[in-house]
Amino acid sequence: MESQVKEIIARVLNVDVGRITDDLSSGEIPEWDSVGNLAIISTIEQELDIEFPLEVLFDLTSVRSIVDEVNRLYDA
Amino acid sequence: MKSTDSMMLETAHSPILCEISRHASRNSDKIALVSGTERVTYRQLSSRILAAAAYLRSVGVKSGDRIVLSAQKELNFIYFYLAAHYTGIVNVVVDPTSQRDRLDYILGVVNPALVMGNRLSVDGYRCLSFDEIDLNEGAEADIQPATVHRTDVADIMFTTGTTGTPKGVCLTHANIAGSAGNTNAFIGTQEGDIEALALPLSHSFGLGRLRCVLMTGAALVLVGNFANLKSFFSVLEAEHVTGFGMVPAVWQYIKRLSGRRIAKFADQLRYVEIGSASLPVEDKRLLMELFPKTRLCMHYGLTEASRAMFTEFHADAGNLTTVGRPSSPQVEVCVLDDYGKPVPDGVDGELCVRGNMVCRSYFLPQDNENAFWGDWFRTGDWGHRDTDGYFYLTGRKKELINVGGEKVSPVAIEKAILSLGIEDCACVAVPDPSGVLGEVPKAYLKRGRCTMSIDDIKARLTTLLPTHEIPVQWEWVDSIPRTASGKIQRLKLKQ
Repeated sequence: MESQVKEIIARVLNVDVGRITDDLSSGEIPEWDSVGNLAIISTIEQELDIEFPLEVLFDLTSVRSIVDEVNRLYDA
Repeated sequence: MKSTDSMMLETAHSPILCEISRHASRNSDKIALVSGTERVTYRQLSSRILAAAAYLRSVGVKSGDRIVLSAQKELNFIYFYLAAHYTGIVNVVVDPTSQRDRLDYILGVVNPALVMGNRLSVDGYRCLSFDEIDLNEGAEADIQPATVHRTDVADIMFTTGTTGTPKGVCLTHANIAGSAGNTNAFIGTQEGDIEALALPLSHSFGLGRLRCVLMTGAALVLVGNFANLKSFFSVLEAEHVTGFGMVPAVWQYIKRLSGRRIAKFADQLRYVEIGSASLPVEDKRLLMELFPKTRLCMHYGLTEASRAMFTEFHADAGNLTTVGRPSSPQVEVCVLDDYGKPVPDGVDGELCVRGNMVCRSYFLPQDNENAFWGDWFRTGDWGHRDTDGYFYLTGRKKELINVGGEKVSPVAIEKAILSLGIEDCACVAVPDPSGVLGEVPKAYLKRGRCTMSIDDIKARLTTLLPTHEIPVQWEWVDSIPRTASGKIQRLKLKQ
């Protein structure tokens, strides 16, 4: 799941997947702006068939937090 | 080390540098810029601008040359941007995330003496990286300003042209200072203000905020962007921020991701500047409710005529559909018909602007055709004035698509789609179904012999267009409506 999430983030932001490290945070690279962040959220929801609860969106601020939340939703 | 006095930015041609110099001599230890853990006082800012000017001269860039600056949100970008003003070098500011073909086009048009930006490598041009330059060490600060005038070009900003080719807007030293002065006077920015800048510096809005803050003698805190709201909110709190600028799409983003959390800063925020696209009236009301004491200033403007009009939601509470009135006595707005003649109040026509911030011209002569009626700049926006002098937008003559404040040319998208082998296509603006971006592109396609699916087309467009330019809605049609001369009739498609 982790590699799938990273691949989606890299594709949406149009950057090399090697730049999508666990501790990379939104806003840290110019490509990951608010529009990019929304596109990441909606593409992950669409392609992995999940829905992030509204209350967690504010806390999805890094690759790690997104991967963790996707894993949590899959486990639930 | 030179004396403080000789390190001042004494120059007659740049009112912005004069103001920075005044703050540096009067209030030298006041913080001008904050970037991460680094704090730069006005005195340090002043001397680093001079050091950057010396650096530019030392690498052989001369007054009148053009340099391309990739607008990285970092201190060295700001020093070199202002150093170019000091030395009479013309800045061409570009987006660090620009698509390669846009950058190549701009380089080809302006033929810069130097290209500056991190991780930028451009064949055929001399390139320098901001992060390899340390202005604190060994830079010679004894440098005289260039002999240039306020009416000489300071910056060239490239906008999206209706034909899909970027247009270079030539802004003089007087233009950029005029816009900052008009804006500061309207908003009421003060020396004690601390502003968070999360807007991109490559756009007129963000770069304008930088100039406004430094002209006032206030402090600017650099923030990457709005993506990480948690970190943006921590900056508001930690730095006691009193103002910031945002585009309407960012407001939708803040609402969606953080609900009403931002209201906890209502008491400390003295002003918020909003602009670049329209904002629904219900959002204006919500902002007024969340920020009852904050000046909520929304501008109408273009890169060519920055901050031409303003409205403040609380002051204009009874009239939230207006785009405002001219931002200062130095700005005039009128409504003209197709022949350049004024129309009566209440009648729609093209909004035209003149004033101290209106650009001198476009860089390429062909772009100036039909751009002005005399000294009135033609905005391409359709609207009218009421009898109280308020202006209203009713449509757009130009067919650009406003995706969250980013102006997108339908022609550029159409070219990319046609390059995939689609027989014919047309793109128009449609409201964003998610309600965040305002407008998004919709593509109408004529299949012809093409066998690709929409998903195939979208996948292939990711290598040709930035994400926000890829159409969100798609429709196959039997034909694309065109005029007798072959022009696409986009209005027909919108109906």
